[in-house]
Amino acid sequence: MNKSQLLQGTLDLLILRILEVGPNHGWGISSRLQQMSKNRLKTSQGSLYPALHRLEMRGEVRSEMTASENNRRARVYTITRAGRKRLNQETETWEAFALSMRRVLGEGR
Amino acid sequence: MIGRLFAALRGLLRRRRIQAEIAEELRDHLEREVEAHVLRGLPPEEARRLALRDLGGLTQTIEATRAVRATWLDAFWRDLAYAARVLRRSPRFTLTALILLVVAIGSTTAIFSIAYAVLVRPLPYPEADRLVFVAGYDGAGVIWPNFEEWRSRARSFDSLASSLADAVIVTGGPIPRRFESRSVTANFFRVLGVRPVQGRLFDDADARPDAALTAMVSHAFWMRELGGAPGAIGQTLSINRKAFTLIGVLPPGFRYMTPADVYILLEPQVAANYRGMQSRNTRTTLYAVGRLKSGVSVTAARAEMQTIAAALALKYGATAKGSDVTLVALADRVVGDMAPTLTVVTGAVMLLLLIACVNLAGLLLNRSASRAHEFSIRSAIGGSRWALIRQLLIEQALLVVTGGVLGALAGAAILTVLVRVAPREMPRLDEIRLDIVVLTWTTLFSSACAFLFGILPAVKASGVSGQELVVRSGRGSTRPATALRKALMLAEITVATVLLSGAGLMVHTMVRLSRVDPGFDPHNLQTFMFSLTGPQWPDARKQVFYDAVVERLRAVPGVENAAVTYSLPTLGSNWWNVFNFPGKTREDWISVGEFPNAGMVPVTAGYFETLRIPLIKGRYFNRSDTPDSLPVAIVNSSLARKYWLNEDPVGKQVRQGFPTEPFGPWRTIVAVVGDIKQEGVDRETSPQVFMPIVQQPRTTVFAIARTRATVTPSSLEMAIHELDRTIPVFNDRTIDQVMREASSRRRIAMIVLSVFGGVAVLLAAIGIYGVIAQGVAERRQEIGVRMALGATGGQILRLFLRHGLAIVAVGIPCGIVAAVAAARSLASLVFGVTVTDPATLGTAAAVLTAVTLLACYVPACSATRVDPLEALRSE
Repeated sequence: MNKSQLLQGTLDLLILRILEVGPNHGWGISSRLQQMSKNRLKTSQGSLYPALHRLEMRGEVRSEMTASENNRRARVYTITRAGRKRLNQETETWEAFALSMRRVLGEGR
Repeated sequence: MIGRLFAALRGLLRRRRIQAEIAEELRDHLEREVEAHVLRGLPPEEARRLALRDLGGLTQTIEATRAVRATWLDAFWRDLAYAARVLRRSPRFTLTALILLVVAIGSTTAIFSIAYAVLVRPLPYPEADRLVFVAGYDGAGVIWPNFEEWRSRARSFDSLASSLADAVIVTGGPIPRRFESRSVTANFFRVLGVRPVQGRLFDDADARPDAALTAMVSHAFWMRELGGAPGAIGQTLSINRKAFTLIGVLPPGFRYMTPADVYILLEPQVAANYRGMQSRNTRTTLYAVGRLKSGVSVTAARAEMQTIAAALALKYGATAKGSDVTLVALADRVVGDMAPTLTVVTGAVMLLLLIACVNLAGLLLNRSASRAHEFSIRSAIGGSRWALIRQLLIEQALLVVTGGVLGALAGAAILTVLVRVAPREMPRLDEIRLDIVVLTWTTLFSSACAFLFGILPAVKASGVSGQELVVRSGRGSTRPATALRKALMLAEITVATVLLSGAGLMVHTMVRLSRVDPGFDPHNLQTFMFSLTGPQWPDARKQVFYDAVVERLRAVPGVENAAVTYSLPTLGSNWWNVFNFPGKTREDWISVGEFPNAGMVPVTAGYFETLRIPLIKGRYFNRSDTPDSLPVAIVNSSLARKYWLNEDPVGKQVRQGFPTEPFGPWRTIVAVVGDIKQEGVDRETSPQVFMPIVQQPRTTVFAIARTRATVTPSSLEMAIHELDRTIPVFNDRTIDQVMREASSRRRIAMIVLSVFGGVAVLLAAIGIYGVIAQGVAERRQEIGVRMALGATGGQILRLFLRHGLAIVAVGIPCGIVAAVAAARSLASLVFGVTVTDPATLGTAAAVLTAVTLLACYVPACSATRVDPLEALRSE
């Protein structure tokens, strides 16, 4: 498992978690991420948007162009059933992994 | 899974919109970011600057996002663009391959389209495979009484019809016009399965003796003569001076055997005993066409008809005409004697397709060989085999599709030209189109060849191990199977020999034909036909009229001389009859085994002078030969030699007909004239008896004018119409045209074989050159070493010429054997030369030997100029 894959997988998971709360647009996801991680996690737009579109291609989110204020249109993303399923699976995997890591690191101390 | 597929599909459909939407999405993001900064109290400019920095490279983000959405279609476009670039980078290869594909696909498609339209495509009638053509013994017509017997006895047919080709005079316009016509039984069109576009078909009620006369016309006649008006149905047409009601119009392009404009019923003609049709003792051109009951085979129908014929022979005596019967599928009959030409042409085109594909194969083989290095490197550094094959597939497909499109265009052009030079009498000419099935077939064939030889070697090369690669890298390429290349060269030589010798035979034939002395001067002779039909033309009026016509024609400016004849030279004899000498009885001739017979040709005085037929003895006909003067005749020298070898024929007498049934008076021979090729320049000279037309009047005759300058046919026809406006005049043409048309089957074969033979030789030369040149390129270092070790240029030259000699030594004999085998299909087309003519075969062999050696010599020469130092340094 190389570094970029790890990060990418993590980002997917984080996006899905944010969308589980409710539909949101790209900027909203980005700012929620900062809020929820208390500014510890920050994603660059250069990876956020490709990730969002990749999730959509995989059918884990769907999107709609909706009219927003100021005559602009925004793309709003919604999590799909497949997305929820993946979120649940990967959350479990992640927690199991984190637990193992903690155990190993804790024992080593 | 389905969601994913749906998204991919949506992505594909919205491909163009995606980029714009991503840009919009990011702009929205930017604005929100700015607003957020402003809310936190930053001045707007600062907020924008910050937001832009956070967003990073906008373009890169758009590109990265779009890349996620990329589909297989994008990958395909990328591969296609790469393939186009690769092909553009090697223009010599690309151009040669394209030329080969265009030649292969274009010519084969055009020629096959013709062959398919004429030979293969079913007749334009529904369920045409159930239609059969029935004739009397040896293909002669069937007499009406026998046809009626057939119709009532035969059980094999749903229905049996008959028809005969004729011509009618239609009056009512400013001048009477003659049209080709066909007299048909009432069920004829129903047997063929034709539906009228206007009105109705004949029915049995129309054929009853008390019914009014009815006619149908062709679509062309309806459009041209009747203005295409639906109201024309029910109109009265004056045909042969009788009133016919027009009841229907046939569909456009309808044709049975020969084209005709007017169709009338046969039954009333039989009832009127027209041309003695009720008689058993007559000759006829009536032929039957039947629709077999479904499930009845042609063989079964033939067997039944032969049984019926045998029964008729018993009933009417063995001598009764029509004691035998010929029954063939209608399609076989329609193709007729064009079949040998088409076989030859189709064979030639298949050989050309073969040679082009062989060449293409060689070309691709060489290319794969020179790219093997590239492929092995690509696979060594991790390029997947599939990616490599996909790339090659796309390259070949691009090549084949481009070649296919250009080939189809070339095919259409070739087809247009060929249809233009094709003889008028060629069946179903108007139905020829560039055939899609054929085009697909030839394209698939070439593609299969391209893929087979273009990809397989490359696939093999991509499997080469890294170590082998290093070992081989010195040579720069791998050599494809040498045996395969040699086999390809042999195939090329063999095929080229076959085509070239065929072309040689046809050229020889045409030269021989052009050298045949027709016995008269065939140039500058304008002819047309006219017809003196009807009760208003008693013999006495005809006798005066012929001379009047000749006088008028001679008065036309540019006309040197003119005559009227019953048979046109080279077009065949219109009247063939037996004749007798004084004192000879039937038994005398039976003991000889044959009655004397000859072509009987009534002509006006001045006929021989007009045609420039030499007088050997005696005198030409002149104005002193009148209806009431001594009946006279002129014979040709063939006839004179046959019956009066050591005697003077002048003063002898002949009379037409059998000794027991004479026809006409005893005629005194007044002259012997030179032989002419009456039956056609490729035929044996026939015995001929000429007589003054005033002593033997005929109804439909040819006028011939010897012209000095160009005289339009219409000015000649006008001369006739000045005499009588009611005379139908038709079929104007020159004797040169008649002769050209007669040789058109051969001319087509010659043109096709010569062009294809030339192209085949060129292709073979290119192919051999390519292989040898490749060999020289591959062996540069070896040559360098040899030269460094003291080999002379001559030795190097011999090294490569030996290749050429080896190919010649095997290929030419193969080619000659194949040519002799193939020449049999030319047997009915050649004239004045045997199909195994050693001179022709020898010439073809010599030409190919020279071409092969030249194709080897050029690259071999370049080998002698290899600089040993340079060749070795590049190691």
